[in-house]
Amino acid sequence: MTEHKDQEQLQEQQAAASGEAPAAKDTTKPEAAAQGEASAEQPAEKGSAAEAKPAEAPEGGTGAAGRNEGPASSGVKAETSGRQAASGEAPASDGEKPKRLDPAEREARRAAALAARAAAQAAGEAPAGDGEKPKRLDPAEREARRAAALAAKAAAKAAAGGGDEGEGAEPAPKEPSPNQPLLDKIVALIRDQVAPDAVEDQYINEVDSHLPVVVVKNEHWLKTAKLLKQSLKLDYLINLSGVDYETYMEVVYHIESFQTGEKYCLKVRTDRDAPSIASVTPVWSTANWPEREVYDLLGIQFPGHPDLRRILLPDDWAGHPLRKDYEPLDPEV
Amino acid sequence: MALRTEELLLNVGPQHPSTHGVFRIVVKIDGEIIKEATPVMGYLHRGTEKLAENLNYTQIIPYTDRMDYVSAMTNNYVLVSAVEKLMQLEVPERAEFLRVIVMELQRIASHLLWWGTYLLDIGAMSPFLFAFRDREIIIELFNELCGARLTYFYMRVGGVKWDAPDGWIQKVRDFVPYMRERLKLYDDLVSGNEIFLARIKGVGRYDAQTAIDYGLSGANLRCTGVKRDLRKDQPYSVYDRFEFDVPTRTEGDCYARYLLRIEEIKQSLRILEQAVEMFPEGPVMAKVPRVLRPPEGEVYSRVESPRGEIGCYVVSKGKDSPYRLKFRRPSFVNLQILPKLLVGESITNLITILGATDIVVGEVDA
Amino acid sequence: MKGLVKGLGVTLRNMTKKKVTYKYPDEPMKMPNRFRGVQHFEPEKCIVCNQCARICPTECITLTGKKNPDPESKVKLVIDTFDLNFEICILCDLCTEVCPTEAIVMTNNFELAAYSRDELFKDKEWLTANNTNVREENNVSLLKAKKGGAE
Ligand code: SF4
Ligand code: SF4
Repeated sequence: MTEHKDQEQLQEQQAAASGEAPAAKDTTKPEAAAQGEASAEQPAEKGSAAEAKPAEAPEGGTGAAGRNEGPASSGVKAETSGRQAASGEAPASDGEKPKRLDPAEREARRAAALAARAAAQAAGEAPAGDGEKPKRLDPAEREARRAAALAAKAAAKAAAGGGDEGEGAEPAPKEPSPNQPLLDKIVALIRDQVAPDAVEDQYINEVDSHLPVVVVKNEHWLKTAKLLKQSLKLDYLINLSGVDYETYMEVVYHIESFQTGEKYCLKVRTDRDAPSIASVTPVWSTANWPEREVYDLLGIQFPGHPDLRRILLPDDWAGHPLRKDYEPLDPEV
Repeated sequence: MALRTEELLLNVGPQHPSTHGVFRIVVKIDGEIIKEATPVMGYLHRGTEKLAENLNYTQIIPYTDRMDYVSAMTNNYVLVSAVEKLMQLEVPERAEFLRVIVMELQRIASHLLWWGTYLLDIGAMSPFLFAFRDREIIIELFNELCGARLTYFYMRVGGVKWDAPDGWIQKVRDFVPYMRERLKLYDDLVSGNEIFLARIKGVGRYDAQTAIDYGLSGANLRCTGVKRDLRKDQPYSVYDRFEFDVPTRTEGDCYARYLLRIEEIKQSLRILEQAVEMFPEGPVMAKVPRVLRPPEGEVYSRVESPRGEIGCYVVSKGKDSPYRLKFRRPSFVNLQILPKLLVGESITNLITILGATDIVVGEVDA
Repeated sequence: MKGLVKGLGVTLRNMTKKKVTYKYPDEPMKMPNRFRGVQHFEPEKCIVCNQCARICPTECITLTGKKNPDPESKVKLVIDTFDLNFEICILCDLCTEVCPTEAIVMTNNFELAAYSRDELFKDKEWLTANNTNVREENNVSLLKAKKGGAE
């Protein structure tokens, strides 16, 4: 039984290894394509959402329809920001089309900037790593911060809708995230120690308590992981999940340090046809089963993994269910 | 003359009383000593993450009940808190207090169930009956509150479904001193028992370094002296308003885990006591749009469940169902260290060590 | 040795206490009012809006409507068939939560065991006849409206 397994696995790994080289080489190409597509997709999606909204409202029927029929452009967010921002309906209606800065919009932006500054001040009392350290926030402070975040969001949205002109005139109302230094630090470290081009993308995930996110190039991942564990003391792998983005696959690592309390999110992208990412089980033992799970459900290979086989599904299962193009063998089951 | 022994493959499970569900370990034993252990799981895999991609957010919540069915409330919470984070919703205070109260009651119920079944596993029958009798009180409280005994489906995005019925808070208040009394009785019954101590002291030991490397959480991590409790370290809900301690021990063995869980019940009682005193008035549901469509983005929310850190990673594309939903299940991650711990132990300790990890198979397999 | 004796003491002390077990099959269990049991259905109230079938996470409700035989009535559609598959119903309460007319409500009855799977497929007539122990509070938002809107 076990011998058989081993052989199978060997074959698999070989196949993976041979498939890996070309895959690694042309990651950049599909990447670019993916990005183009993504940006093209966004407006389209927004449009469809806007369409869907009025269609749904009358159908929804009982009473609730009146609540959010107005700002069809961006349902939820428009509603909340409308509640929070000083000039009620302005940002919502501006969202889509303004070519010029009309007074209402400017007003909204100013409010946002002010709020942001207030929040920054409030946050200033706390040392870096805002919202992470075990520290008591009094309700007022929290309120202020949330309001600021919302306002900043609304402003950013308005700016994005405003096109080039708005962009140029904009004095960057988005407050620098409290975790920006962390992001800068990790990016600099990776660029310096691994490779200058190892970082594909970097941003701050504002909704998720300003979590710094770094997208690392596939071929540099293992080295980066080792480096992070050693120099940044990121010793605790919180979560490892795989996502199929239809044009590429992504594995998301949430990592934390028990010694410094810093948290990061790292992402590694891989080609969809022969997905393969270096295993980090040698770095964090936690990764063992989650990697098997990702292999099981998404079909991503992890070269370097000690025992890569299916974990949740039976060994003879056909296909990888969490792939977006998965067709069950027997749809009745 | 030495006794000649041979290696033997032994299947423990999938239907074995000590695995609390359908879970199998293939152990290679030489005499009584375990040479190798390979957990086999997936018998309870229902594909929650796959199903979720075709359901809207409210519809997913009842599925989370069925992952860790011993602690449905924390599972509910991890999902709704992730969606609330994405939508930046403000949850009414009363709802947050109700959530804290039910989550702490749930922690007590879960630890009680663990306590009873663990002792049953290692050969003590009557503690099980004591534990279930007291757990029944909590279950009855939940039944009154939300109409189910196990799969509560109590929380909604933006609040909770039901307000507390009349007199319910008083019942919780009365439960606290009652449970304190019972804990003393438990201590008398078991904690000093010599047979019990001989059975679990020093068994299944690991150090903090290993625990962190294997990503353990909950009592499994705290038993090595690492002070980690998400309720304190990254307070969610209204946990920052309560006073409670994070108990730790340094032995890292099964006995430390046992003592920690008992201690955690005491801390939960402390939180309950404060929560019912501070219980505010107000609505229990925020104003949420009828169709939940979180904006595009992704969020990872983490909650301290009775078993450790339960997490929920949501990727939203602005639709009414998630693009990808991934649960970090503490039982699944905590179980990984098992093969390492078992090597060199005697086969009787397999039950002791597995039991002390406190797994729920529904959560391991999701 | 001391610990053992102490434990035995607890056991002995509890031997004389009152019993706490339920006499369940002999005496019926009384569930609290909010208990989510097998649904009760009232065909007259149903407006065939299909909301319950759409919200159900396991898709266990199948319903069809027909033209109202009474042409005078304002209601255009009435319910024709309404089937609930209790093999997969998880009694999650969502159908009763969305029903705008409280046509489908929960009862406190929970005994569903059967010898065959077919018996678990319940139709309109069965659900209508299941009219004991009907739950008082069903649609929370309607309840609020009735009370005059607490918010
Ligand atoms: S209780 Fe839930 S599963 Fe059952 S019919 Fe209603 S919505 Fe469907
Ligand atoms: S939601 Fe109520 S009224 Fe609408 S179809 Fe279902 S049972 Fe009938």
